[in-house]
Amino acid sequence: MASDDEVSLLVIVVDVNPIWWGQQAQREPEFTLSKCLDAVMVVGNSHMAMARTNKLAVIASHCQDSHFLFPSKSWRGADNGGDDASSSGDGKYELLSVANNLIAEEIRNVMSKTEVRGNSTETLLAGSLAKALCFIHKVSKELEAGQEMKSRILVIKAAEDCARQYMNFMNVIFAAQKQNILIDACVLDSDSGLLQQACDITGGLYLKIPQKVALGQYLLWVFLPDLEQRSQLVLPPPAHVDYRAACFCHRNLIEIGYVCSVCLSIFCNFSPICTTCETAFKIQLPQMVKPKKKKLKQPT
Amino acid sequence: MEDFIQCSTTVFVLLFGLMMKLRVQLQCKNLHEYLRELSPDLLDRLYNHPATCLAVYRELPSLAKNYVMRMLFLDQPLPKAAVALWVKKDSQKHHDECVSVLSGLRLWHSQQLQGGLQGYILNPVFKDNLRIALLGGGRAWADEGSTLGPDRHARDIESLDRYAMERWEVILHFMVGSPSAAVSQDLAQLLVQAGLMKSETGEAPYITSAGFQFLLLDTASQLWYFTLQYLKTAQSRGMDLVEILSFLFQLSFSTLGRDYSVEGMSESLLTFLQHLREFGLVFQRKRKSRRYYPTRLAITLAAGVTTSPVSSYSKLAPTPGAGDAGFIVVETNYRIYAYTNSELQIALVALFSEMLYRFPNVVVAQVTRESVQQAIANGITAQQIIHFLRTRAHPVILKQTPVLPPTITDQIRLWELERDRLQFTEGVLYNQFLSQADFEVLRDRAQGLGCLVWQDVPRRVMVVTPQGHSEVKRFWKRQKSHT
Repeated sequence: MASDDEVSLLVIVVDVNPIWWGQQAQREPEFTLSKCLDAVMVVGNSHMAMARTNKLAVIASHCQDSHFLFPSKSWRGADNGGDDASSSGDGKYELLSVANNLIAEEIRNVMSKTEVRGNSTETLLAGSLAKALCFIHKVSKELEAGQEMKSRILVIKAAEDCARQYMNFMNVIFAAQKQNILIDACVLDSDSGLLQQACDITGGLYLKIPQKVALGQYLLWVFLPDLEQRSQLVLPPPAHVDYRAACFCHRNLIEIGYVCSVCLSIFCNFSPICTTCETAFKIQLPQMVKPKKKKLKQPT
Repeated sequence: MEDFIQCSTTVFVLLFGLMMKLRVQLQCKNLHEYLRELSPDLLDRLYNHPATCLAVYRELPSLAKNYVMRMLFLDQPLPKAAVALWVKKDSQKHHDECVSVLSGLRLWHSQQLQGGLQGYILNPVFKDNLRIALLGGGRAWADEGSTLGPDRHARDIESLDRYAMERWEVILHFMVGSPSAAVSQDLAQLLVQAGLMKSETGEAPYITSAGFQFLLLDTASQLWYFTLQYLKTAQSRGMDLVEILSFLFQLSFSTLGRDYSVEGMSESLLTFLQHLREFGLVFQRKRKSRRYYPTRLAITLAAGVTTSPVSSYSKLAPTPGAGDAGFIVVETNYRIYAYTNSELQIALVALFSEMLYRFPNVVVAQVTRESVQQAIANGITAQQIIHFLRTRAHPVILKQTPVLPPTITDQIRLWELERDRLQFTEGVLYNQFLSQADFEVLRDRAQGLGCLVWQDVPRRVMVVTPQGHSEVKRFWKRQKSHT
């Protein structure tokens, strides 16, 4: 049994990209953002109900920014009495109903304030993950002496990957790996190479769910157990990982490319001067011809 | 011809030492052990309240929690074979344990599936109420104070903590016989019934060895032990066990610093509330007050249910009971520095150590072989001493790992072992073999069966376990008829 000195923190990052969810609502009216958030709340509640020391945070990842849905600024912590957010007046555990009301309220705020400017339609996932890591760090600093914390991040990913975030994303992944933080990914739509790498590197689980409507059940079955129980349970086998890197020049995902021998930057075309470290390469012409022939169309 | 060997029919006790001492151990059951003893229909009635379901759920082994979660939203039974496939082969043991816990608590039932397969289905009452606790619906647990309007005498968390601490300390002080501490007749009687105190007619009750062990527990365990004792006597007081258990769990899930209304509570529940008030679990300004505040003691109650030995220091740090939590420094030279001026805490430290110096804010004591053995003779175990020191460790030494110097903990354990040189094993004695060959045949057979406890070759004596006795005897009979 998990001892009381062990805090388990689950940070759920939900992709709330309005464009994707808008299209999704037209494609499948039975699975909308609110359904998805319901499932997230069920998992969050289950996590918090499991043990007194379990903690939860929910982050909404939007196009331009990311918001903390829970705990939000207006929430003053569980031990702080006199919450004005009153419970729902039914049989729900008070702490949970306060949390759920907050999440619902915050997401409403976030979505109503949305205005998509310019053409940035990609979800700012790397930013949200970085926020999650910061939050985990903050919580771990606040622990009392003798307590240990295990934390993990669960990403619920809807929209397409964004290769432009490759660098930031990888940095976040390696930071998480160093801190022993698991990154789990539950992918609703198309496979995400970045998240596959994140899960593989940090030891988390990656699952592209076949049926979106059953999201809640998938989350409960696969992502609710913590690391200790996962070693005992039979879970979906690890997915094939797409380890393609994005080039530094055009942010395209490539399988074969050029690597600067000095700073290890990756490029899809040859350039005589590395744009990152400005090393000049002295390469004889005959060899110049060869790579040109071999040059590949980037697989998409 | 008469039997060559004689099986002594009495059960033998093997003594591997010279001294023996029987000791009364304070048994502190956890929630599951307690619930398992309740009758099935009582259990089913208990699950009628979301708070109980949540509390029971929280105390399940972590794997079992996941099983419950997986089945919470299923309405059909799952085939047993499918459930068995949830775990990897090498954790089969954990799986079996979970299955037995879940069945033991009647959280799931076996059911015949279509096609003759056996399946599991969650107890419908439990399932519904756990769903309510998680997702809402159903009736509210308790009336909130908000219906009463704001409280003019509202309490903040600090004063609630202080109040709870004071109340609980009074009980502890009463147990060690401080003259200033007075408790109600009910409470004194409860302490006597729990075996923590003894009272001869006409005299004031005095503390027993179980009582000393009780004092060494951390607050959460004390509270839980005490509550269990209370529950035991509850039915004799004409209280409904289900009602008060549900209320207790409901309290433990309430929010600190918030007021709740007594509206709609039955007569026996109100009496119970008064008792809780005396233990410091709830704060009520006046006996007739319409509202009450749960204190931290009540809220950590369900958390103290676990038997994990090093639990809840951290949680109880700001909590009452321990007085000033974290005041003991243990050094490798067997010295204990206790930064406290509480008579109670000093008395507790003195239970297993020799006092050296005493200053206004600190006492210095030395742990010696004599002092520890004295404590052990009083029925206190080494584990309890170590636990006491660890749970009350000063923040400074709490930062080092392990918290207590290993030399000290090992030595205290060794001192205990010095007294524990006996091990009891039941067995059946075989002796008076006529030949060495007979002896060896039978001995080898017993060894093969794995039931040989002890043998003495020169004297041709052996002892087998009671379970193996019949088999060995049958073998011997067969052996004899052959020759």
